[in-house]
Amino acid sequence: MRSAIIADLKKDMQKILNNISNESVPYLFLLPCLLILGSLLSVPLYKVVEYSLYDNVIVQKNPSFVGLQNYKEILSDTAFWKATLNTIIFTVGSVIGHLIIGTSLALLVNTDINPKARTLFRSLLILPWIFTAVVVAVNWQLLLNPFGIINYGLDKLGIISEPLDWLGDPSLAMWSLLLISTWRGYPFIMVSFLSGLQSIPKELYEAAEIDGAGFFGKFWHVTIPQLKPVIYGVALLDLIWTFQLFPLVWLTTGGGPGRTTEVLSTMTFRYAFVNFEFSQASTVAVSILIISAAFTIFYLRNEKSKI
Amino acid sequence: MSKIDIKNLVKYFGPQKILHGIDISISKGEFCVLVGPSGCGKSTTLRMVAGLETISGGEIIIGDRVVNGLKPRERGIAMVFQNYALYPAKTVYNNMAFSLQLSRINKNIIDEKVREVAKILDITDLLDRKPATLSGGQRQRVAMGRAIVRDPEVFLFDEPLSNLDAQLRGQMRAEIKLLHQRLKNTVIYVTHDQVEAMTLADKIVIMKDGRIEQQGTPDDVFHNPQTLFVASFMGSPPMNLISAKILKDGIKIKNSEINFKKSSNLKIDKSIIFGIRADDIRLSEEDKSGIPVKGFVNLVEQLGTENLAHFNVGENNFIGKTNARAKLKLNKEYSFNFNMKHAYFFDPETGARIS
Amino acid sequence: MFFKKIFTLIFAFSFAWTINASAKTEIEWLQWFAAENTRDFYEGLVDEFEAANPNISVKLVTQPFGKVRESIVTDSAVGVGSDVLGLNMPWTTGFLKSDILEPLDKYMSKGSNSFKTENLVQAPIGKINGKTWMVPLNAFPFVMHVNMDLVKKAGFSKPPSSWSELKEQAVAISNLGDGISGIGMPLSSQPPSNGPILTFLPLLYSNGGRIMNGTSPNFDNAKVVETLNFINDLKKSGAMAPGFASRTGGVDLEEFIAGRSGFLISPGVHASAVATRNPDLNYDLVRVPTNGVNAYRVHGWELGIASKSKHKEEAWKFIDFLLSKEVNAKVAKASRALPGNLDSLDLVSGGATPVMKTQMNILSGDEPVEELRQAPSAVASWSIMTEEMQSMLRGDQSAKEAATKVQSRWLDLIS
Repeated sequence: MRSAIIADLKKDMQKILNNISNESVPYLFLLPCLLILGSLLSVPLYKVVEYSLYDNVIVQKNPSFVGLQNYKEILSDTAFWKATLNTIIFTVGSVIGHLIIGTSLALLVNTDINPKARTLFRSLLILPWIFTAVVVAVNWQLLLNPFGIINYGLDKLGIISEPLDWLGDPSLAMWSLLLISTWRGYPFIMVSFLSGLQSIPKELYEAAEIDGAGFFGKFWHVTIPQLKPVIYGVALLDLIWTFQLFPLVWLTTGGGPGRTTEVLSTMTFRYAFVNFEFSQASTVAVSILIISAAFTIFYLRNEKSKI
Repeated sequence: MSKIDIKNLVKYFGPQKILHGIDISISKGEFCVLVGPSGCGKSTTLRMVAGLETISGGEIIIGDRVVNGLKPRERGIAMVFQNYALYPAKTVYNNMAFSLQLSRINKNIIDEKVREVAKILDITDLLDRKPATLSGGQRQRVAMGRAIVRDPEVFLFDEPLSNLDAQLRGQMRAEIKLLHQRLKNTVIYVTHDQVEAMTLADKIVIMKDGRIEQQGTPDDVFHNPQTLFVASFMGSPPMNLISAKILKDGIKIKNSEINFKKSSNLKIDKSIIFGIRADDIRLSEEDKSGIPVKGFVNLVEQLGTENLAHFNVGENNFIGKTNARAKLKLNKEYSFNFNMKHAYFFDPETGARIS
Repeated sequence: MFFKKIFTLIFAFSFAWTINASAKTEIEWLQWFAAENTRDFYEGLVDEFEAANPNISVKLVTQPFGKVRESIVTDSAVGVGSDVLGLNMPWTTGFLKSDILEPLDKYMSKGSNSFKTENLVQAPIGKINGKTWMVPLNAFPFVMHVNMDLVKKAGFSKPPSSWSELKEQAVAISNLGDGISGIGMPLSSQPPSNGPILTFLPLLYSNGGRIMNGTSPNFDNAKVVETLNFINDLKKSGAMAPGFASRTGGVDLEEFIAGRSGFLISPGVHASAVATRNPDLNYDLVRVPTNGVNAYRVHGWELGIASKSKHKEEAWKFIDFLLSKEVNAKVAKASRALPGNLDSLDLVSGGATPVMKTQMNILSGDEPVEELRQAPSAVASWSIMTEEMQSMLRGDQSAKEAATKVQSRWLDLIS
């Protein structure tokens, strides 16, 4: 009697173990990836937050815990708020530029032209995105050099009489930066839109044409509504990426002239690797994180209802 | 409402000539159906009238205006698409009101018109819904509503019922017909379904390979086909078409002879194609009139209301009709009566009707 | 039993491995020098050293100049790092604050050294907090490069030697038009934004001025204001190339090489860049135009030992090797600079070009000045100087205001 019960128990245990191993196999496959990604993401994140709560991390062996002192300091620092404002201007400006140029070019590339020509243009128009930030920065510095080709062209056209210092004049630097950023980033929008555009049934445009919609009417009433989900998704990504964008700003203006183009990411780098003030740098970095996260949550919550 | 004249319409796609000179005259309030197999050019013709395709040659006149070169919105047309083409992001109301909104017409007038049309089509309770939440039939009605609201000179339908199931199709067909009787609009309707053509049209235009095979009333086209193609295209089941030879007092189909009083323009010994509708072939038992021909039944299709009997006379296959209750055995020989008064003869080379 | 066997095997193997490994000491040399000389020169030096010292192997860790400073700090924080460090004098105070460098006094006093301390270029070995922290591998003075073609075209026969001559010639050259300017001012905010120390400091020193008072910043003084006014004057009179706020040191050099600048104030090593890139340029090298004093800003590549190094003796052996007369002469030639060990000068001067000879004269005759080694938050202070000078040149503030601002901001920074 007893041996029968034990045998039964053994069978049940076997079944349970089998079940566990069956169900857990997928998780086991995921485990290495989760471990690596998790540690690569979570450890630095934790560390940076930790650094922001101490004073003189890294440069001193035993940094002292100061709690939220660093945060209080940067919140009362006008340079921090100026950098935040610059970052917002830069981000919003860039994304608007990307959207306008990217959409226009997507519409242009989507028209009925010779397919070979269309492929050629599509490839050419994607190029700015492919170059690394360094290449883009150096390239535009040469173009925007006071004796560079852009000034030369403008001078020949009679638009300016003296060479303009695009990256060195405080009133021009941000605009120049926006120009460079727009040029660099529009392909992402363009490509996303192109695929969206191609999924819009041609008949909708024909119906709109018959209903009396002109070019703009068709764009507004047919294209945009169909692309709304794409626009929201892509704009969000672009906003987040541009908000933290570092190389392009650092390598073209370095935050100058005179900090007029200083954004939060360059401020972080400057604190860290120029001044070696790693605590302050971590604090600014965490503030970037908080702002990005808050914005994303707000954005997604708002859009969930719309899409 | 306006009349439409299509004069010598020609269309090239690149080097390919798609339409070889189409001439159609549609009078005010007439329901004209363009029908034919895929690739015959009927949709192309319709889209050229709409202004969605360019015109390579010829003229399209709506009312008394030559509309070549005019944009679709300037032509006074409205179109119902095969896939409805409703604006997915707009409500039914806004779908219907869209064109009026674009013309900056007073909001109250728009409201009046939209509700009026919605009432006609019985879609008033759908006005606040989006197209994605509607069924196929409802969407089709909204598409028609959108067209009707515009009060155009011409309505264009591009295979509007092709996406619906058979039962719904029949229902919508009737609705379209009723609507036409009520609104008395000029319509060009494209379909590949000859049943739709027959039931809806005042005038049928049968097209093939970019040419008009025949145009006329349904009756005309059905009972008086001018070409082999028309004869075989119209009618279900299709007309029986057999090669035969003219004899002095009849025709010879391979080894059988059918004797009847032939007309004088049939030359003796001439090879022709002999056509006769299934409806004019009956079991000799059921119908005493006509010329009896013996054949072996090889298939019986039961339609419910009647049966289609497939039988072969020698090597030739015929389809005839019998009562639903007739019980035919396979591979047995039966006698069928051919009503030769309704026989057609076609020239085998040109396809033209001889008699 | 099986597992036990495996463990024992692994244990034994690794033991043997470490024993074998510890027979030879490996030291790391972190520098940027090899990046500027890609012909395996430094690898060759390492081979030579290892041949003479079979118990020591040297691992060359080469990084771009900008990265080296970061690496030293972050490596030290983590607890790893190289043993021998390539150093730049302005980095000193920052490193001292974090205890990164090992004092070299006890090594310098060794009798077995291949060099004599009094023969070394003095600037980097000056004591801070009573200790020596680095030794010079090579040295170069800041000089003024001259485009003689433009000078002659502007109507002069020889390069300027005083401030007033400099202004006169620079204005005349700018008036030649066609995109040509007398002199450039590389005041870009882009990192490292070291424009002020490239151009302003040399001029200041030839005016007998200083920006430091011992180890405290002293930017707000009469000589500094006078020098700033001179630079402002150059701008107002049209002698300066447009676009100073976006002009980097690199661009400054490029413009000179391309023949679009009359004068360039920069390290003497750039002479070789000019010679290789544009041999057709009618080029001359002179000391920085003086306003009464013959002093030059001295710069160079230095060597130090990491305080966390576990092989300090071996590290010093390598440094000693690099400072020995023959090796140091080789390094000087390869880097187109002057040797840190002045004893090697005669080895270097044999076959030296006139340009090199001029530099050597300056090096041995004029007064060398190096302040940034003692300057607190040196690198960060350059951004401040750059920004205030930009503002001055734009006309937003006077030279006096700029100087005052720099001083107060700098003090803020180090407090």
